[in-house]
Amino acid sequence: MSSVHSDPLPPTASPGARRSDDHYTSQKLAIGLGVAAVVITALVGIQIGTSGATLIDVLQTFWAKITGTVPTDRASLLMHNVIWELRLPRVLLAILGGAALAVAGVLFQGLLRNPLVSPYTLGIAPAAAFGASLAIVLFGATAGSAAVSLVIGALLFSFLNTALVLSLASARNLHPTTLILVGIALSQLFGALTACIQYFAEDEVLAAIVRWTWGSVNNSAWYQVLALFVLLALAFPYIRFRSSALNAIAFAGDDSAKSLGVAVSTVRLQTIAIAATLTAVTIAFTGIIGFVGLVAPHIARLVVGANHRFLIAFSAIIGALLLVVADAVGRLVISPGVIPVGIIDALVGAPIFLYLILTRQKAIE
Amino acid sequence: MTLKIDSLEVGYGKRQVVKGANLKVEKGELVGLLGSNGSGKSTLIKTIAGINSHTKGSITWNGGTDLTKLARRDLAKIVAYVPQSIGLSFGLDIREAVLLGRTPYFGTRPRDEDWVHVEAAMQRMGLDELGDRSVTELSGGQGQRVLIARALAQDPEILLLDEPTSALDIRYQWQTLEVARDVTRKKNVAAVIAIHDLNQAARFTDRVVFLQDGVVIADGPPADVYSPELIKRVYGVDVELSVHKGFVQVHPLSDREHSHLGLHSTTSALGHNHHPVKHRDYATA
Repeated sequence: MSSVHSDPLPPTASPGARRSDDHYTSQKLAIGLGVAAVVITALVGIQIGTSGATLIDVLQTFWAKITGTVPTDRASLLMHNVIWELRLPRVLLAILGGAALAVAGVLFQGLLRNPLVSPYTLGIAPAAAFGASLAIVLFGATAGSAAVSLVIGALLFSFLNTALVLSLASARNLHPTTLILVGIALSQLFGALTACIQYFAEDEVLAAIVRWTWGSVNNSAWYQVLALFVLLALAFPYIRFRSSALNAIAFAGDDSAKSLGVAVSTVRLQTIAIAATLTAVTIAFTGIIGFVGLVAPHIARLVVGANHRFLIAFSAIIGALLLVVADAVGRLVISPGVIPVGIIDALVGAPIFLYLILTRQKAIE
Repeated sequence: MTLKIDSLEVGYGKRQVVKGANLKVEKGELVGLLGSNGSGKSTLIKTIAGINSHTKGSITWNGGTDLTKLARRDLAKIVAYVPQSIGLSFGLDIREAVLLGRTPYFGTRPRDEDWVHVEAAMQRMGLDELGDRSVTELSGGQGQRVLIARALAQDPEILLLDEPTSALDIRYQWQTLEVARDVTRKKNVAAVIAIHDLNQAARFTDRVVFLQDGVVIADGPPADVYSPELIKRVYGVDVELSVHKGFVQVHPLSDREHSHLGLHSTTSALGHNHHPVKHRDYATA
């Protein structure tokens, strides 16, 4: 056996005989700090806007809601309403949407064993865009009354797309390459259908479609926050429960994962369904916010490593941070105008991502 | 304690790959599975590991347990599978890559007992100093050792190795084979290794089994089984045999149509990573 011990790789600091979960103190610390960072950026984000607000105003609003009282003077009432009806849902939708897209990204990348995959790889975004475009054409380009039909249109076609991808790829046992190729085909199909609508649409409709595809949290509403929150609260325990199966599929491959006792096809089907639902519901509310679902998992891997037990939670944190910050920046730069979060997200995120790829290449390869 | 495979049939769709294979492996015994590409070696191993499902026959362990009827997770506590070294897209650290072997044993959170197995497996494979390194930093040989350590952490009674040496250079081929043999002895597992190199099989295994067209056509200690006739039949190559340090060795004869192969018949016997027999695989297909 002596030859087995004689490799040239020098030893790193040996951890010795560590016990149990001591292995993961840094990961747990990172998650704790991450949650704190999300809370702080959220509190800052709520204060940003044309009518201003201080931390005191924000806290007073919370207090008023908790105690069930309503401010009596007009100025306080206005501030109260701005914070509660506009700022808070907007910031919370950014947090939950960012978290949902990032979690979906981690799941897709792991399940398809491909670092280039995003929540949109299976064609959900073009399908949602087609659904939204159809809704805009059928029910008019004005927001407000059209908002719900937009959400329903986007959701409907996202689910249709996911059902198509899964049933077509199940003929090949949901093999990762098949899933990706079917996703590409359907992306092209729905992209072409949307292009048809755009080609024949009037200027006003065309503008509405394009605006939707930029992705923003401008039209946030409490029901959306609630829906995403419930969805994440239901999905998260299941995903966590599957984290060791995900590890086996992502890092050992399908055959080895099976030999490690993992029901690969079942786990893949269920987890893709969850990731697709998270993506579909988020973009039905926000439009297509790119980038965060691709990049948040990579940034998270650089910090807490690739183990899904911690990666999923930490990706959610990074996703939330990216969108909250991007939205805050979008409200600041051309105030009182608002740049959609999807645009800022990519503008700010791309250089960060490039930096990480070029300096920390090993972690991403 | 015996792994017993009886009249096993496995197919993909309409194509039968294993057509009634019979095989016995005792505890503490390393059996080499030989045969040309497409002879069913890999399929047989994957079927024992529960990756493929069989159509007929049985796989039993220890007299009674029918491995094909076990729940996936329970099977994974008895049978461990070592694939060829594979490329990895994400940088898991080595300790966690070995921890994957404990997947059948814990839920979300590894217990103390799981870490004990992980540390022991890493130590046995000489990886204990490298635990915090990323698997993407490893050489092929080290990567293969991580895969074997993962299988050991699984605490198996049956160890299956599917051509673990094919992607390695000669040094790591020998390391891997030495490790496979040592582990078989020390952990007292029933081990099956699919392997291409006849000389290495003769050097390291207790018994060899030749598969051809999905059935076992020869079974026994290498020195008894190897013959120019058998090797001609399986691989379509003319060879001479010799004995080196007590191990039977195979030397392909040079051949006008394939004169670029065996200029000196001893080249392959010395173990250069050059498989003359592979070039003739199609001859039997």
